[in-house]
Amino acid sequence: MRAEVSQVSDIALLQAIARGDEAALARLYDQYRVILFGLLVRILNSREEAEDVLQEVFLQVWRRAGDYDEQRGKPFTWLVTLTRSRAIDRLRALGSRQRLATSAAQEQPEEASDALKETYRSEQREIVQRALADLPEEQRRTLLLAYFEGLTQTEIAAKLNAPLGTVKTRMRSALTKLRETLGTQTGLLGGANR
Amino acid sequence: MSHEEYQELLAANALSALDGAQARELTAHLESCDECRAQSFAWEETSAMLAYDATPIEPSARVRENILAAVHLESQSSVASKAQVPTVVPFERPAKARQSPFVSFAAIAATLVLIGLSISLLFVWKEKRANDAEVARLSSEMQQTQAELQHEREVVSFITSPGAHMAELAGTNMAPGAHAMIAYDKSGQAMLMARGLPSAPSGKAYQLWFIKDGKKMPGRVFQTDPSGSGMLKDQLPAEALSAAVFAITLEPENGVAAPTGAVYLVSGS
Repeated sequence: MRAEVSQVSDIALLQAIARGDEAALARLYDQYRVILFGLLVRILNSREEAEDVLQEVFLQVWRRAGDYDEQRGKPFTWLVTLTRSRAIDRLRALGSRQRLATSAAQEQPEEASDALKETYRSEQREIVQRALADLPEEQRRTLLLAYFEGLTQTEIAAKLNAPLGTVKTRMRSALTKLRETLGTQTGLLGGANR
Repeated sequence: MSHEEYQELLAANALSALDGAQARELTAHLESCDECRAQSFAWEETSAMLAYDATPIEPSARVRENILAAVHLESQSSVASKAQVPTVVPFERPAKARQSPFVSFAAIAATLVLIGLSISLLFVWKEKRANDAEVARLSSEMQQTQAELQHEREVVSFITSPGAHMAELAGTNMAPGAHAMIAYDKSGQAMLMARGLPSAPSGKAYQLWFIKDGKKMPGRVFQTDPSGSGMLKDQLPAEALSAAVFAITLEPENGVAAPTGAVYLVSGS
């Protein structure tokens, strides 16, 4: 399905970027800007910080596209991992778990230019949100605290006033169940756009 | 740490949820273990899917412009740098295609200006980054201090509340320099503050015990910070409210129902 959406695979785009193709970077940006920016705003809760980090991410993609290794997984995974890692670094550098309160972060998302891609992403979103909803509340909370607030297991244990061992178990169980659920959805895990 | 223990850490690592030391240890292991590395990639794929839980948002158009302008500038600088140090001797061009000396000088000057601008931009950018980092560090320190102050206020408020009791725990031979105080009120709400404890090995934690007439009642577990200090809020069992002995042992990190590890701190009877 992914291949129907994109005539040029993400891997081909990364290879072109590694060769210095600026247009390829623009295409990759257009393809992922909406989901990556949504992720950054959710983590940083600030449009300004999120835009700053999004720029850093794509400059890093430009400089490091040659480092992308297909064995590591889909380009999407690489991009998200890179983006989230930068966001968590920024969050920790800001020295606060308290979200930066900005009304801008509450703005409604603007409509993406490519309706087909957006529809596809919405389908992905629905599947992931359903899988999350199927998790027990405490497992889901543990997972989301780590993923979107950048908290470590020790910090989550302190925040929830729960034993560290319990937090570790919840986190592993949650991700295991998520993997099982998503693994059964064709193309979500393992079906790379290559 | 065993191979199996490293495997247990992989899911949390994919969520960046390991503490620094554990993450570093795991990263070192991944360098040499193909199996763990493959599993790590699989966990990362699952973890990445969580990005779909965030609401998609359109960034402003200037982000795209900035990115493309920056990479274009980098490309130009790179080309200009290469032009400055040719690695092959160029073919001589036909006379009519040859540029005038003025054009050549202008091209060189433009290239030098471009390189100069790029370097200046880099310095400005680095300076901004350094300033941002310093502001972030100071802000972090301030928040930490505020948190510590709040915590100390909480402790003072608790131990000065009417009917509060205090007991002192002294370090045993396991940690002669360790010391702790436990404060509790008549409802059994207790607050333990310990310092001077060695950091618990991986998979272990300190556990509080309430001992009354030889009966050992388990309290909660806690970890210490890098300085060896730890704090714990707990609820005393009703029967431990009077004349109980308090002790702290090293146990498996989830805690145990009966003490199995060495005693590190104990109060007088």
